[in-house]
Amino acid sequence: MALASIAPPFPSARQSGDRRARARVVRIGLIVALGLSMVLGLGGGAASDTDVWGGLLTKFGLATASARDVTIIWDIRMPRVMTAALVGAALAVAGAVMQGLFRNPLADPGLVGVSAGAGLGAVAAIVLGGLLPLAVQVASGAYLVPFSAFLGGWASTLVLYRIATRGGRTSVATMLLAGIALGALTGAITGIIVYKADDSQLRDLTFWGMGSVAGATWAKLWAAAPLILASLFVAPFLARALDALALGEAVASHMGIDTQMMKRVAILSVAGSVGACVAITGGIGFVGIVVPHLLRLVQGPEHRNLLPNAALLGAVVLLLADMVSRVVVAPAELPIGIVTAILGGPVFMWILLKNRSLSDV
Amino acid sequence: MSETSITASKLRVRFGRHTALNGVDFSAQAGQLTAIVGPNGSGKTTLLRALTGDVAHSGKVWINGRETASLRPVELARLRAVLPQSGSVAFPFTVLELVRLGLTAGLATACPQAQATLPQAALARVGLAGFESRLVQDLSGGERQRVHLARVLVQIWEPVLEGAPRWLFLDEPVSALDIGHQLIVMQLAHDYAQAGGGVVAVMHDLNLTAMFADHVTLLGAGQVRASGAPQEVLTDRDLSACYGCALRTNTPPPFGGTWILPQATGQSPSQSAGLSLGQGSLS
Repeated sequence: MALASIAPPFPSARQSGDRRARARVVRIGLIVALGLSMVLGLGGGAASDTDVWGGLLTKFGLATASARDVTIIWDIRMPRVMTAALVGAALAVAGAVMQGLFRNPLADPGLVGVSAGAGLGAVAAIVLGGLLPLAVQVASGAYLVPFSAFLGGWASTLVLYRIATRGGRTSVATMLLAGIALGALTGAITGIIVYKADDSQLRDLTFWGMGSVAGATWAKLWAAAPLILASLFVAPFLARALDALALGEAVASHMGIDTQMMKRVAILSVAGSVGACVAITGGIGFVGIVVPHLLRLVQGPEHRNLLPNAALLGAVVLLLADMVSRVVVAPAELPIGIVTAILGGPVFMWILLKNRSLSDV
Repeated sequence: MSETSITASKLRVRFGRHTALNGVDFSAQAGQLTAIVGPNGSGKTTLLRALTGDVAHSGKVWINGRETASLRPVELARLRAVLPQSGSVAFPFTVLELVRLGLTAGLATACPQAQATLPQAALARVGLAGFESRLVQDLSGGERQRVHLARVLVQIWEPVLEGAPRWLFLDEPVSALDIGHQLIVMQLAHDYAQAGGGVVAVMHDLNLTAMFADHVTLLGAGQVRASGAPQEVLTDRDLSACYGCALRTNTPPPFGGTWILPQATGQSPSQSAGLSLGQGSLS
């Protein structure tokens, strides 16, 4: 693979340190890129006539932009940019954690069953929401779909976890297989509900499945942020354990890792954050696979560097994807899930072709 | 239970209907290299895995007088390190990154400042100085085995910490090594025991066992056939019966060591094995 060909036959003792140094450089670059892409995201495209800095600073009494600009920046674009950044970070970190947990560079956050369950929850809310008492419908308003998606995601993760845990030990392999079975089951139930849906519901379903940050509001963001931030906060504490787990569960436990505790924390935090992401943005693919993968190629697999950099790169990628989605078919918008799939699919294939050995490890 | 020993009583392990270990009592003393020998399928690795808690078993195991089931993973990791027979690494780690993982549990030495240099020292000890930045997946089988040995060494670098011996569990540590590195690794294990630590090694090579072990436990069909000093255990009768072939122990005067030689019987290996197995039930 690429890194092997870079390494000279009798290299100095420093390269492993070099990887850490490289990770620091990558991190600084990503922090800058994150700042830039957030500003660009607030700008809303090249043709925008909105005074971004004015709108931003007026809020603090430091400038005098029009009320229209302040509203556009703070109430429309800011929640959207924050949502894209937060969801991108969460998906990339969740992907890295799942890949470490399943000891497979191709694992996906959806493996814990959260996507399938969340999909079922969302579909049920869209199609069957009308059957709820009117008072509940009015009270839940726009939150019915995200809330139901989140519940569905968590419920299916808990079911999987129960199935895979026996005598206090959770089998990661069983979880993977049970996930396939549960995915088929929820897929079938989703199919039944979709079959019952009318045309406008079908349209809602399709757009929800494509994923979008266009509907982002502060209220939705506040609802999802605690779970997402919690998982981002927990991730660094899993770094050493994930490194050790690369050698297998028995070896990790010989090295002093409480593997059962670690699996529980990892699975539940990923289910929480991915559930929250799916709830507010729908299905956004490939970020969780491609981002950690690219970083491993550049800076090696040590999780203490991988996890923070994945959070940064994930945020940048989703911010850029959101910009692309706003620009390419302007004035309309492409759902962001389509953009990440169009960009991520070929990148992923390219990685596979270039590094066939990766899928063998 | 002694505070400087590994002790196990009445270990029993079943895989489905097959009994892999049938009421094994085992003990190993700190300051000694204890070898577990026996033919394929006799339960050597299963015994090691029961001692390290990797396989469901009945019976109890004590390490330095404390029952292992009552210790947390991190407490155990500070008392003992385990070298598995083979291991895969899921991601492209470099040699140095992998060996550093041995420091996960902390307390490799009493002096925290020394920890940073331990991985390099351990690599030099197993003959892999200069390999730090190579990718583990690109190494040969024997090199990989030594990288893992270095990782295990780093974990419990000081054989005695705060007066308590620490334990190396090695599952066929020399199986993938050439003869020169076999000697290096066995000498290393021997030195670790001489320095006050304990070593429990599953061994296939009877000659290396005779050369380096202080204590030998001979297993056959999931039971202990003999246990004691090498010259007591490595006898023609017990070895031949256990391994199902004619083996002769020699002690040539000039060296004083013990050599085990297979004896050609003029029969094909399968005939010979079948014949000897018939005679081989020790009681």
